[in-house]
Amino acid sequence: MANDAAANHDDHHDHTPTGAARWLCSTNHKDIGTLYLAIAIISSVVGGAMSWYIRLELTYPGIQYIDDFQFYNVLVTAHGFIMVFFVVMPALIGGFGNWFVPLMIGAPDMAFPRMNNISFWLLAAALILLVVSALVDGGPGTGWTVYPPLSDINYHPGAAVDFGILALHLAGASSILGAINLIVTILNMRTPGMTMHRMPLFCWAMLVTAFLLLLAIPVLAGGLTMLLTDRNFGTAFFDSGAGGDPLLWQHLFWFFGHPEVYIIIIPAFGIISQVVSTFSNKPIFGYLGMAYAMSAIGVVGFVVWAHHMFTSGLSVDARAYFTTATMIIAVPTGVKIFSWMATMWGGSIKLEVPMLFAVGFIFLFVVGGVTGVTLANSSADLAMHDTYFVVAHFHMVMGVAAVLAMFCGFYYWIGKMSGREYPRFLAKLHFWLFFIGVNVLFIPQHFSGLAGMPRRIPDYPDNYWGWNYVSSIGTAITVAGTLVFFLVLWRTLTAGKPTEANPWGEGAKTLEWTVPSPAPFHTHEYPPNMDEPAPAE
Amino acid sequence: MNARQTQNGRVALALVTVVAAMVGLSFAAVPLYRIFCEVTGYVGTPNLDVAEVPTQVSDRVITVQFDANTNGGLQWKFKPSQRQVTVKLGEPNLAFYTAENLSEKTVTGTATFNVTPYKVGQYFSKIDCFCFTEQTLAPGQEVPMPVEFFVDPEIFNDPNTREVKTITLSYTFFRSGTGTKDAGDDKSAALTKIDTGKI
Repeated sequence: MANDAAANHDDHHDHTPTGAARWLCSTNHKDIGTLYLAIAIISSVVGGAMSWYIRLELTYPGIQYIDDFQFYNVLVTAHGFIMVFFVVMPALIGGFGNWFVPLMIGAPDMAFPRMNNISFWLLAAALILLVVSALVDGGPGTGWTVYPPLSDINYHPGAAVDFGILALHLAGASSILGAINLIVTILNMRTPGMTMHRMPLFCWAMLVTAFLLLLAIPVLAGGLTMLLTDRNFGTAFFDSGAGGDPLLWQHLFWFFGHPEVYIIIIPAFGIISQVVSTFSNKPIFGYLGMAYAMSAIGVVGFVVWAHHMFTSGLSVDARAYFTTATMIIAVPTGVKIFSWMATMWGGSIKLEVPMLFAVGFIFLFVVGGVTGVTLANSSADLAMHDTYFVVAHFHMVMGVAAVLAMFCGFYYWIGKMSGREYPRFLAKLHFWLFFIGVNVLFIPQHFSGLAGMPRRIPDYPDNYWGWNYVSSIGTAITVAGTLVFFLVLWRTLTAGKPTEANPWGEGAKTLEWTVPSPAPFHTHEYPPNMDEPAPAE
Repeated sequence: MNARQTQNGRVALALVTVVAAMVGLSFAAVPLYRIFCEVTGYVGTPNLDVAEVPTQVSDRVITVQFDANTNGGLQWKFKPSQRQVTVKLGEPNLAFYTAENLSEKTVTGTATFNVTPYKVGQYFSKIDCFCFTEQTLAPGQEVPMPVEFFVDPEIFNDPNTREVKTITLSYTFFRSGTGTKDAGDDKSAALTKIDTGKI
């Protein structure tokens, strides 16, 4: 508050670095956050183009554009890896996490600013390795799940899968270091007076996410190393003929893979809490319930992994357990949905653009989530596994809901990051085109899936044509929406009206709204005081 | 270094230890899964840790059937020499399989095994068998493979398994990973599948 204004008038910090020193060797959480957002935006174009090409081929039965099926499989694989590891995670965790956790807790920066920088550049190197993997030796046509024996040396000879493994190792290292940074920052560097139960829910979300990363990514690293040595150094972790078992990979991968999807969605939950509270002009209903619901989702998320393996030969007792445990996660999730609704109830609602995206998130996350509960039933999953019903489910929750949350965060915080307002009409156009587009895209895929259409195929029997055609129309509408987003981005950054420290009014009560827009290079150089008794939102 | 930095460092060290522990656990998964299955007999894992043959042979009998499979890439004829035997609980028995190499190359194979129903795994004890040891057969060579086993009398005292009348012991032979398979063949076959792009 006043302290910050005084600090910013001091002269001793007037040398903001420029050029390579600023962008290659950054130790500034805002700049590093911007770098992560930039890599996310660039990767979203690449990952998006891949999915558009896939949908182009799937519009009609028969093969029109992609007759190299290894290439098709590589597109499917690369699309998945890029979207998960290079779009959603960098945007939510590296981007918004780095930008706003220190601002919200009143810290001047992250606990380990130099390690923050290496986290980013490890990710950039990982992206390069992933691109290389797609360009050598036919590429990795394994799906993002990389199951052996297909990913083992006999069926993917050459270096493509090895490059992919190394890319994931680097991305994993980036995430682990980032997680350590977030945890230490949140535990140790809150401004005096901000107890854990007074910090914003976005920070709770980042804390839970960081713990999930810390525990899950090393298991992926272990499995990847085993695959690497199986492929290149004669070990036999996954080779039945030599005493190993392909099922070991599945267990290790999904022990990571399930917490990974919560890593993707919990930061989104955090953003939605901030936005719903701001635009209902009310504190979030049930702050403690929200914080501990996220923690419960995180904990239970570690003991449900085999619901991705229901058709792999698990015993009936194992399937019964995993069905039950998976369905239990719906309970804390429901607590969050009801709490957001209760927050809006009786609030003074402003349907600004971030709020449009937040409400869209709440609705579509529920739609996507309930199909997850359907899939949790192991008996039913025997018919739905590896069909488009699964594809529809995870795209609704990750490709739609998480992306809505990313856009929500963008519109909420772009003023703080850039100092400029977005053009309101174009932003609303973006929302509606995107919202309609993704629904036309993914809802029909539920029907194809239930009708038996398998996933990861370049062509299908004629009877699946109808919904595939509709889904591809949805792709076109979504592309249009995405183009509008890039227009919004460009117009905001080049011609947006200068905006004030807090454009959102009294509903915005977290500390980032107390610093100027754009946020100065250094903020909270003196810890802000927290002596007002109101609870954090 | 001030107090804040020291404390940050301490928390960071604790978290790095957690990361190392998780990596260690994922490698430890390999023996841990095996030990878990062997101790509990989960999914029909037979009991290989036989300290001693029980001295008491019960009069109760149970039928043991023998099943043999080969994995696709192995050109061996692999069969049990007897389709089933009826044995007394606690009595050690010897059964035989035969394996014949039908191909024109020397081939090494290893076998995996389990028993059904799954719940009797811990009561089916193998004293000696050819599992997991590599068997190398010259072209056309045929060898007998013995399995010495007994069924623990406790199977009748356990209310869960008391009703079992038949146990099936199943082996599957794979081409051994460290054998003399012609890696070139596998590779070129795989590449051909990829290049033609046909389903």
